[in-house]
Amino acid sequence: MKNVFLLLGRKFVFVLLTAFLLSMVVFFMLRVIPADSLGMMLPPSATEADAQALRVALGMDGTVLHQYKVWLSGALRGDLGNSIFFHQPVTGLLGQALPPTLELACISLLLALLISIPGGVVLYLLDKKKIEFAADFVLVLLLSVPSFLWGIILIVVFGVLFPILPFMGRMEGTPVVDGGTGFLLVDLLVRGQWQAWWDAFSHLLLPALALALAFSPIVIRVLRSSLIETANSQYVNVARLRGVPEWRVLLVHMLKNAALPTLTLIGVQFGFLFGGTLLIEVIFSFPGIGNLMVQAIKNHDLPLIQGVALVFCMMVLCVNFCVDGLYSVLNPRLRSA
Amino acid sequence: MSTKSISFWEARLRPVLAHPKVVVGGTLVLIFALVALLAPWLAPNDPNDQDLLATLLPPAWQDEGMAMYPLGTDGLGRCILSRLIHGSRVAFQVAVIAAAGTMVLGTILAILAGYIGGWFDRAVSSLVVLWMAFPPVVFSMMLMVGLGTGLFNVILAVVLVDWTRFFRVVRAEVLVARQRDYVYAAHLLGFSHLRIMVREVLPSVAPLIVTLFSLQMGVAIVVEAILSFVGLSVPSDVVAWGVMLADGRDQIYQAGWGLLAPVIGIVFAVLGFNLLSDGLRTTLDPRLKQRGAH
Repeated sequence: MKNVFLLLGRKFVFVLLTAFLLSMVVFFMLRVIPADSLGMMLPPSATEADAQALRVALGMDGTVLHQYKVWLSGALRGDLGNSIFFHQPVTGLLGQALPPTLELACISLLLALLISIPGGVVLYLLDKKKIEFAADFVLVLLLSVPSFLWGIILIVVFGVLFPILPFMGRMEGTPVVDGGTGFLLVDLLVRGQWQAWWDAFSHLLLPALALALAFSPIVIRVLRSSLIETANSQYVNVARLRGVPEWRVLLVHMLKNAALPTLTLIGVQFGFLFGGTLLIEVIFSFPGIGNLMVQAIKNHDLPLIQGVALVFCMMVLCVNFCVDGLYSVLNPRLRSA
Repeated sequence: MSTKSISFWEARLRPVLAHPKVVVGGTLVLIFALVALLAPWLAPNDPNDQDLLATLLPPAWQDEGMAMYPLGTDGLGRCILSRLIHGSRVAFQVAVIAAAGTMVLGTILAILAGYIGGWFDRAVSSLVVLWMAFPPVVFSMMLMVGLGTGLFNVILAVVLVDWTRFFRVVRAEVLVARQRDYVYAAHLLGFSHLRIMVREVLPSVAPLIVTLFSLQMGVAIVVEAILSFVGLSVPSDVVAWGVMLADGRDQIYQAGWGLLAPVIGIVFAVLGFNLLSDGLRTTLDPRLKQRGAH
């Protein structure tokens, strides 16, 4: 067990280093750009002296390196500057918008697993049968539909043609929970407001399903191929020879081992799912950080763009780290190494 | 000479072209390319002509439809079919140019890093690790903010975001190829490093590159659609599928069918490229072929 901690410690240092470098990438990418955000903040009658004063106030005077120092020391204290458009601290805006996005990402990951585990098993069972061919075609078709198109298809089908599920916002009206965690599903559950909980949950269903449908074919593919690989391993044959029924071999013995490569894949591809929330939030008018990002981009709101981009990167790093950790805990070979 | 070409055909090309995924995918891609090239002759109407007396018409086979507008019209009375056909041009341009750029940048860096190794390999590989922490959508949007809108910048953004895919896969393959006997033989014969990279290593990773290229064309189409959907790609008078999606979203209650046309267009093209890539992968990769023979 000591080795695991050592491994995780080393990974954590690596994550910190990556986070530092990423903050530089985010900062400099937006600083070298020609867009004049100052021009948008100042009235047309502003003089050069006004512009200079604003530059100093924003920490945008001096060399780029100096600007980065000012920004980083602020960021480490949790101050990412003020949004130019909303006239509010970026950190506060992010704090409001992050929980809905996390909620959406978690539910869609859950749905994706619900779809892809049975899907992977079914495709494995079809291996080397004639119908596998058709199933494979369907899988490639599903792989070709990105999540934001799923969002549009789901809205047209379940929102407009057969209006059974809501597709605008987080719930009907504004959420009336004050305080709490910001995670609506948790807050409402704790307070026992069942009706409101169902309302919020049903608003999450379509966007989460859109993300899950785009994510699951990737998982299904890996799960199928790792199931096919484990099917020939000795311990599986031994289990069969012992007379363990085939369904039990599959569900108990094989699935456990095939889960590891799948877990790694989910970690690697989480950025894909998380990035997908961006457009899904725009399409479903969902008040998360993706929607915030697109609004910030439309308003050329540099501090906000920087803040959201940084949060996106940190979330991906964080998930990668957690999956890495989970992997080394679950994989006995790494434990003793 | 003729026998040689026949044997090459028999041995390599025929199994590739006979694979059903290659056939179907190739056909879809061919149709897509033809529609893009011949758009001005195929489209029944000018894609930007507004017929304000006939807005939000349903497709022609429905009762209120007009034969003039086979797939109906959008909120400004523009022919949806014509816009669908013309929209393929932007998608096709981005697909070809962006995928080619991605391929060139990723492959050159991958071969250099895999062949030279050392500090260069470590530097580029750690850059890739950084890149991977960005969700691709977020990254490309940030680049578009930095670079400004326009088709050229969309292509540049795709190249700058996606070169890592080529780099990772091709580099792994170069590391294998570097250890092959014929590369050692080339070293012993005193060939220059450049010659070995171009003449010995590159051909051995070429099948992989072709596969990835096809996949990347599909990715580029999706990225372009996303960027033009949020208004970061082409000017509003240029017809693109993402623009159609953004326009149609405003009339979603009155006319959901207007949204399905660009959705089908995108899925059609991406499916073609994905099938082609999949089929090429199974037929070109000798290891997969062996596995199939067992």
